[in-house]
Amino acid sequence: MRTSALDQDLFAAAVGSMPADELSAVRNDAASRFASLGFPTARNENWKYTNLSGAAAISNAWLREHAGVPFSSASITRPGQAESTLLRQIDANWIVIRNGSVDMNSLERTRKNYGAVINFSHLSDRTAECDIDVDDPMSAFNAALLLDGLHISVSPDSDSLTPLGILQIDDPSQQASQVRIVLEIGRSSSLRIVECALSANHGAQFTNAVIQASIASNACLSHVRLQLRGDEHVGVSRITATLDRDARFHHDAFDFGGSLTRNDVVAIIAGTNAQVRLHGLYLASGNQHIDNHTRVEHRVGPAVSDEEYRGVLSGRSRAVFNGQAVVFKGADGTDANQSNHNLLLSSQAEIDTKPELEIYADDVKCSHGATVGQLDEASLFYLRSRGLDQGEAKRLLTQAFASEFLSELSVEVCREYLTSTLDERLADLVSDRHL
Amino acid sequence: MSNMLEIKNLQARIAGNTILNGLTLTVKAGEVHAIMGPNGSGKSTLAQVIAGHADYEVLGGTVTYQGENLLALEPEDRAREGIFLGFQYPVEIPGVNNAYLLKAAVNAKRRHQGLAEIDAFEFLKLARERMSLLEMDASFLNRSVNEGFSGGEKKRNEILQMAMLEPKLAILDETDSGLDIDALKAVANGVNALRDPERAIVLVTHYQRLLDYIEPDYVHVLSKGRIVRSGDKSLALELEEKGYEWIQEAANA
Repeated sequence: MRTSALDQDLFAAAVGSMPADELSAVRNDAASRFASLGFPTARNENWKYTNLSGAAAISNAWLREHAGVPFSSASITRPGQAESTLLRQIDANWIVIRNGSVDMNSLERTRKNYGAVINFSHLSDRTAECDIDVDDPMSAFNAALLLDGLHISVSPDSDSLTPLGILQIDDPSQQASQVRIVLEIGRSSSLRIVECALSANHGAQFTNAVIQASIASNACLSHVRLQLRGDEHVGVSRITATLDRDARFHHDAFDFGGSLTRNDVVAIIAGTNAQVRLHGLYLASGNQHIDNHTRVEHRVGPAVSDEEYRGVLSGRSRAVFNGQAVVFKGADGTDANQSNHNLLLSSQAEIDTKPELEIYADDVKCSHGATVGQLDEASLFYLRSRGLDQGEAKRLLTQAFASEFLSELSVEVCREYLTSTLDERLADLVSDRHL
Repeated sequence: MSNMLEIKNLQARIAGNTILNGLTLTVKAGEVHAIMGPNGSGKSTLAQVIAGHADYEVLGGTVTYQGENLLALEPEDRAREGIFLGFQYPVEIPGVNNAYLLKAAVNAKRRHQGLAEIDAFEFLKLARERMSLLEMDASFLNRSVNEGFSGGEKKRNEILQMAMLEPKLAILDETDSGLDIDALKAVANGVNALRDPERAIVLVTHYQRLLDYIEPDYVHVLSKGRIVRSGDKSLALELEEKGYEWIQEAANA
């Protein structure tokens, strides 16, 4: 494992070279915060299993050459095969974010399609009214080096019929990118988002994306995140959703790619009768590393949270699941359920799973469970006795385990794309040479 | 007629316990054999060894199927060559669709035979036809394999698979146990409809009752891993009357 730390001198110089604009105050505040924190290390309990030294090495190179320089779209050639397929197969209004910069053509098209229902603006034009989260080190790093971000607000009492697509696509020529999206879902409105992350080419890249969402009373945010990064990609992502009363937040996360991936999902229940549903599926092979940390804060009750993450690991891959549910004092009527199930296809794959419940209220219903297992031998033999070969039988059983959520997907339009991508990826896992 | 299945002096064990102790049996095409015997006599072991379950270790003897050494084949190749095992305890497989499995199984066999795969339309037509034979509702096709099925439904589903795969040699392991009389009749009707001069059927059973509905050509009694007595269907009636102790005493003598 490479051990390198982020170079704080390079960081300070890069922050100093950022443009003087509306975001300057936010950047300087974030920079001083990050300077005292640095990249998280294994000494931080939340980062015990996930080593960011690869991200630090990529970041150092990037800080030396590119930070603060607006990305030139001229250096990205025509959209690649993967990008075209995805845009064609999922019926959404797409905003394309290349190496952290919003593609203005796609933004204009999308803006027109939604008319008055959704308002899109630059984050730099909204600094007066929204707080940029910088609470954790990676969010602070993101804010300190942010050229700009996207602010999306959905008007009250409106439904956006076509899902909003957000495609993050990165190219190793730029090495690192910071993405920040602030979402405001107005009262009694709903927004469905399908967010996809791709790599334009092979090569070492680091992306650090932060989404902050506030969901007003009786509003609903459905969010599918599909991560299909290249095999040298290091990705850190964080989504924080704050829910007012009767609000709903559905999050379905699919992590199929990347070399090292760390996702943080934080749901804050700040209003009664809010509902949170978190689904995650991670598939890892080879030396992939996928870490999902979730935290649901039940600040008031009654409210419901349901969470289930599933993983399939082959080769020497490693996954981490940490699910925190915190029930605050007085949050009576809380119903919080959480589970994490893992299928290990190889003896060298590893999962570290840790459900954490912290309960300070009296009248609550909470459950959690974690399982780790192999494919059922009796089922394998049954399928083979019907003429299916061993590989097909394994693939079928693995698919059955992994497809659990597809029937209740938050954003229907990506089902077909997701199913075919899942099948393809499972075929890789089942035929992993380290089985 | 040549022998379809020829088992000679078969010895096999599981988890260190020797279960089969020199079993010899010959089955020809068109015949129905019943293998009876008390618990632990090796009935299910015989069925599992023929299907190729890896937990059973063959210590000695030979199993010849259509003139070839069956023991050298993987379970899936045995199935594709026409061997079908109806499980005593069919496995529940959540998330795997019954129709998908049936179609995959039929096509695996067809590919092996060098035939074109069956298309969706032909498949549905065939499946519906075979299901009506077993008085099964069409909704079975869309359910997960055996998940939440009653005992009778599971056994019908086994016979449906047999009817779709049209095996040359079917081993039905306690297909009758745990069934009420209606389910037993439906299963027996299905099996009888599949009797064919080209097909051999081996019924492994604990109870004589099944043989009232599926009339065997031969009855064998298994005890301590060997066939200790063979006869026609009257042997089953004699067993019913005198119990297994009679055979075991005779075998020990």
